[in-house]
Amino acid sequence: MSAAPLPTTPLPTLAEAGRRIAAGELSPVALTEAALGRAMALNERLSAFIEITAERARAAARRAEREIAGGRRRGPLHGIPYGLKDIYDAAGLRTTAHSKLLLDNVAAEDAATTARLEAAGMVLIGKLATHEFATGGPAWDLPFPPARNPWNPEHFTGGSSSGSGAAVAAGILPLTMGSDTGGSIRLPAAYCGVVGLKPTYGRVSRRGVVPLAYSLDTCGPLTWTVEDSALALQALAGHDPRDPGSADVPVPDYRSALRAGVAGLRIGYARGFNGDAGVEAEQAAALDAAAQVLAGLGAEIVEVALPPNDHFQAVARTISHGESFSIHQDDLRRRPQDYARVTRERLMLGAFVTAAQYNRAQRLRRVLTARVDALFDSCDVLLTAAITGPAPVLEETDTGPWRKQQPITSVFNVTSHPALAQPCGFAANGLPLSVQFVGRAFDESTVLRVGHAYEQAAGWTRRRPEIAILPALKP
Amino acid sequence: MEHDELDFAAALRRAGLTVAPERYHAMLEAYRGMQTLLRVLDEPLAYADEPAVSPRLDSEIRSGLPK
Repeated sequence: MSAAPLPTTPLPTLAEAGRRIAAGELSPVALTEAALGRAMALNERLSAFIEITAERARAAARRAEREIAGGRRRGPLHGIPYGLKDIYDAAGLRTTAHSKLLLDNVAAEDAATTARLEAAGMVLIGKLATHEFATGGPAWDLPFPPARNPWNPEHFTGGSSSGSGAAVAAGILPLTMGSDTGGSIRLPAAYCGVVGLKPTYGRVSRRGVVPLAYSLDTCGPLTWTVEDSALALQALAGHDPRDPGSADVPVPDYRSALRAGVAGLRIGYARGFNGDAGVEAEQAAALDAAAQVLAGLGAEIVEVALPPNDHFQAVARTISHGESFSIHQDDLRRRPQDYARVTRERLMLGAFVTAAQYNRAQRLRRVLTARVDALFDSCDVLLTAAITGPAPVLEETDTGPWRKQQPITSVFNVTSHPALAQPCGFAANGLPLSVQFVGRAFDESTVLRVGHAYEQAAGWTRRRPEIAILPALKP
Repeated sequence: MEHDELDFAAALRRAGLTVAPERYHAMLEAYRGMQTLLRVLDEPLAYADEPAVSPRLDSEIRSGLPK
């Protein structure tokens, strides 16, 4: 196996790296050194990593290289680097949740998802920045700084899987893990111009991941391409009897489904939602253009109407705040000063949720889910906005206790449907725009199929952030 | 003091939480914003509209219980 030169360009995708490793053209050790080199070189500017686990990674890469050379290649992910949002456990490493409260929290065993990626032979490069406890917002009163957007480090990455989005966009890693309670995979994917998949609730185990809101939390991958998202989900999906929310549903072959194209599919464009959710003109125009691309590929585009956005927001806020407060109430009473100000204040809002409000939110959630389910009687996939516009300036991000604009991605946390955010163009300021595809429960295959067809036709993945000419950051 | 401010203060006290004086107004406004959004939860629901997370005591769920 020949050693590749240290790439100064982004790491290859999972699909390309896997193909080249299988062909003996790429060494896991060289690939890991490239990832570590980029991580160390760029982290000062991007703050994507809380911890870079270099020695552990080198040992894993050498092991992978030996196994592959010995004819024991485990599969398409063997020997490829990845990263974990720092709410995922990895045995022997700290899981800090980006918080002072968990600075000494060393995991005894892998999260279920970590174990699956390790079993696939992947190489853990490090733990990634997040909003504290996967909530709150960018904060400067924490043990670690907030991640920066590789397209422009003066701008917000989105969150809460902030380091996960930044590391993929910067070409440091081809796969990072995120979690999504109201959009925390899809928002950083959208703002950082990468692909983020929130699988159906129950599709991927949450065991060993710090919880935020039990009935909404979903684990999933961030990648550069939709094909990579399919490859990652193949490794991650499956029933886990030790996760009470895990569903025992068969796992199909996601990658082979990508090749089917979109001809004959009916795609419901929730165009009216753009106005209801406050989507900006250039983001709305990019969604219109995406729908036209899919129509050109043979899909039938029909307009559909989602229930009112304020109903989704009320349900999402009530459930999320109520459940997260139940997790954090003891620490909020005993050591409130150890949270960042924005985290503390947003978690405290859960104290205002009454039992009746929580129960009515869960009842309305069922009504809203049924109404969205009914759209799939006549559509295969929905097309909606994931964000209202490009990433705001980091220093101007809303960090008040009550956000003026709630994440519109939370619609599909309320309904549990699988949702994929991926690039659909660039704003006038050069920052990415994003489209969201949503499918029937447990039908990630069709979502990925549509996303892949669109990605291949639109070609947005050919454009990368120009890391090398990033301006110096403010101290 | 307005009624909703009394409710706000009572909820904080019942929850055992304190708010720094310089953040009191921001938290009160957050409370008001939240209660405004949550008004839609008061719209009528049918008796049959059960919660989304009503327990399902089938084998799938039982298999996830601690042994």
